[in-house]
Amino acid sequence: MLDGLSTSLKDALKKLAGKTVVDRAAVDELVKDLQRALISSDVNVKLVMELSKAIRTRSLEEEPPKGMNVREHVLRIVYQELVRLVWASTEVRLEPQTILMAGLQGSGKTTTTAKLARYFQKKGMKVGVVCADTFRPGAFDQISTLCAKINVPCFGNAQEKDALKITREGLEALKEQELIIVDTQGRHALEADLIREIIDLNVLTKATHRWLVIDAALGQQASEQAKRFHEAIGIDGVIITKMDGTAKGGGAMSAVAETKSGIAFIGSGETIEDLERFDPDGFISRLLGMGDLKALVERANENLNPDDVDVNAMMKGKFTLRDMYKQLEALNKMGPLKQIMGMLPLGNMQLPEGVYDVTSTKMVRYRIIMDSMTPTELDEPSLINSSRMQRIAHGAGATPDEVRELLKYYKMMQRTLKGLKGSGGGKFNMQRLMKRFSGMQ
Amino acid sequence: MFGGLREKLKAARDRLGGSIEAAAAKAEPAEKAVPAGAVPATRPVPEPGPATATTAPASPSFVQKVRTLIIERELIVSEKDLDDALSELEMTLLESDVALPATDAIIGSVEKNLVGKHRKIGESVDDLVVHALKTALLDVLGSGFDLKEYIAKHDRPVKILFTGVNGTGKTTTVAKIGAYLKKEGFTVVIGAGDTYRAGAIEQIAVHAERIGIRVIQHQEGADPSAVLFDAVEYAKSHKIDVVLADTAGRFHNKANLMSQLEKIKRVMKPDLVVYVDEAVAGNDAVTRAFEFDKTIGADAVVLTKADMDSRGGAAISIAHTIGKPLMFLGVGQAYEDIMPFEPAKVVDELLDGGA
Ligand SMILES: Nc1nc2c(ncn2[C@@H]2O[C@H](COP(=O)(O)OP(=O)(O)O)[C@@H](O)[C@H]2O)c(=O)[nH]1
Ligand SMILES: Nc1nc2c(ncn2[C@@H]2O[C@H](COP(=O)(O)OP(=O)(O)O)[C@@H](O)[C@H]2O)c(=O)[nH]1
Ligand SMILES: [Mg+2]
Ligand SMILES: [Mg+2]
Repeated sequence: MLDGLSTSLKDALKKLAGKTVVDRAAVDELVKDLQRALISSDVNVKLVMELSKAIRTRSLEEEPPKGMNVREHVLRIVYQELVRLVWASTEVRLEPQTILMAGLQGSGKTTTTAKLARYFQKKGMKVGVVCADTFRPGAFDQISTLCAKINVPCFGNAQEKDALKITREGLEALKEQELIIVDTQGRHALEADLIREIIDLNVLTKATHRWLVIDAALGQQASEQAKRFHEAIGIDGVIITKMDGTAKGGGAMSAVAETKSGIAFIGSGETIEDLERFDPDGFISRLLGMGDLKALVERANENLNPDDVDVNAMMKGKFTLRDMYKQLEALNKMGPLKQIMGMLPLGNMQLPEGVYDVTSTKMVRYRIIMDSMTPTELDEPSLINSSRMQRIAHGAGATPDEVRELLKYYKMMQRTLKGLKGSGGGKFNMQRLMKRFSGMQ
Repeated sequence: MFGGLREKLKAARDRLGGSIEAAAAKAEPAEKAVPAGAVPATRPVPEPGPATATTAPASPSFVQKVRTLIIERELIVSEKDLDDALSELEMTLLESDVALPATDAIIGSVEKNLVGKHRKIGESVDDLVVHALKTALLDVLGSGFDLKEYIAKHDRPVKILFTGVNGTGKTTTVAKIGAYLKKEGFTVVIGAGDTYRAGAIEQIAVHAERIGIRVIQHQEGADPSAVLFDAVEYAKSHKIDVVLADTAGRFHNKANLMSQLEKIKRVMKPDLVVYVDEAVAGNDAVTRAFEFDKTIGADAVVLTKADMDSRGGAAISIAHTIGKPLMFLGVGQAYEDIMPFEPAKVVDELLDGGA
């Protein structure tokens, strides 16, 4: 059934392929198929309607970029609108912190707690777990067994009925640990007592993060449930579990939209190691039932050919936001920046750590922000004052802080490239190197 | 549950009624009757109780109006008359988590029932719409499943295997059904067939102790077929009426786990395979119900966590996909939070006793 859907989506896209002028009827047909695809992936129906309205309007009103055919133009808009919804602002820092787990019954909180403990432990942090689930039979056995496997201290008491008391004692008992994860019992929006309990737990723990754990299969309920949790404790990240099944995660995506948070992690199996960072491209392809979406989008984007990255201009120090945009696109295709830089004959030159810090989700985010800049701004970033910043942020559904962060990153890249030039890196044929990398993928 | 769906269906129903009425009015331009779309002179008196007081179907002014419109002539409803109303109904079903294929089927059935229909003189539009919707929903939901009756009619022990994906509520359902059957006077033993998930054996053991039912268990990591085989043997030698076999959750796309389940089935030879899913699941409910039914088979379905949700579309999706009866609804975490599922009652409730 889903295969049929994605086929019809592809057919609808094909109809647009040969066109040079945007065809209203063809766009309408595509939007209809898109709606069906998103709804059968459990994206909130109202959200689907909003999305398709935006896609339709933009497709018809925006001028296709030079050299891009209608199909590529529309596809690019579809992709941008979807990425806009799932961009992960959820920052995961390796700092002392407390994480409060929240979610419906059976969503995967306990399993994910253990996975997170493992994740941070592997990053070298001292992790502890508090079992605040005083309700579900076997809950403490479950989490303490999992923690024992990875030598993470786990505090709990199967006899105690008061979650707050346990948590208070647990925080005290684990105060030597840098990072504490508090696992809680399942609850839903209509259970007022339990919503009260998690509010109290949030106050008590002064949690750094409040992550909502959502089953990939959750349907239209997702938005309402997320809304209630968000009102109660302010959700700042969503974890989608059970993505190793066949569910598409559209409910979880709607929860992200509802809480205006991001997707922190993906659960993809029953073992402690089955935790992944979020990859927007893969997620969206799956949501639409189109495996090759990323490739399509890449072809649709004008400046993806590494040949087009004006390395010479970059090396001359004339490095604009436009160059950075191209670079991010190209890098996205080639793999981690660190790996590429590692290939350069830089001698012992130290690059600032921050250069590597940009994750793939952030790259996507930056690209979206840059999409809402004018050509002049892209060429002359110094023009961007605070009122322009406001406008850009608004257009990209971002905060001015994020725009600021992007500009900061840009400046750092600019400095780095100047440094490269100084160290003789300019002589190296970066163009050929980039080609080699893209060929490898 | 189903409250949300009920309200929305009511709106859709009124809407459908409206479309047909509009068509009727168009068909008779020279009518002396109330012009199309006119609001009845007197608003219906709000009904007592929690029911929403939109256009009450039984309101005299409404019925009267409809009568005046149609009484003189037979009417043939066309597809076009229904277009808008049907797409609204489609949205309603989708928003209630009825999966796309099931939604298509329901819409198709309602349309088939109304388009080209010759309406009897005096038959109200509302009756017509309600009837079409009821037929469509009952078609999809099928009949219920009376577990007590099934057990009463079968040789003992009756062996029931519970299956489903991770975290849907299998273990809790086993405990609830155990408590229910015990109350009904049957003797029960539980087999702790989830030997995989950490804490799973403790979980079922605590439940069993609380409800006073014997549980047969092995160590974590043991072969689940062996545990469940032992549970059956225990029941045979102790003349126990019912064996409830819990299993670990598994995804239908994992071949090794599904073949483990096939082995369990071969070894314990269940009389009933009960597939457990949750009411809040979206479209994946269709995919996995289909796969489980295909590889392991399913004789009945339990839908849990219906207390989270006022829509209940998953019930319709699953029933539509595998055509197996819904046996129980889980409506909370306590042992008594389980309800036998009665389709006719649910459909009546959905349509607010409108016919
Ligand atoms: N296949 C799979 N199963 C998962 C995943 N996360 C959790 N589970 C399973 O889902 C079920 C419920 O998980 P649990 O952590 O107990 O949920 P909780 O009630 O929210 O604490 C268990 O059977 C877990 O093994 C996942 O990412 N993939
Ligand atoms: N609200 C609600 N929670 C339920 C219901 N049935 C099960 N649960 C909860 O869902 C979680 C997972 O249930 P469990 O029986 O362990 O699922 P299993 O992994 O399929 O065996 C537990 O926290 C249960 O208490 C229900 O009908 N309503
Ligand atoms: Mg738990
Ligand atoms: Mg279980």
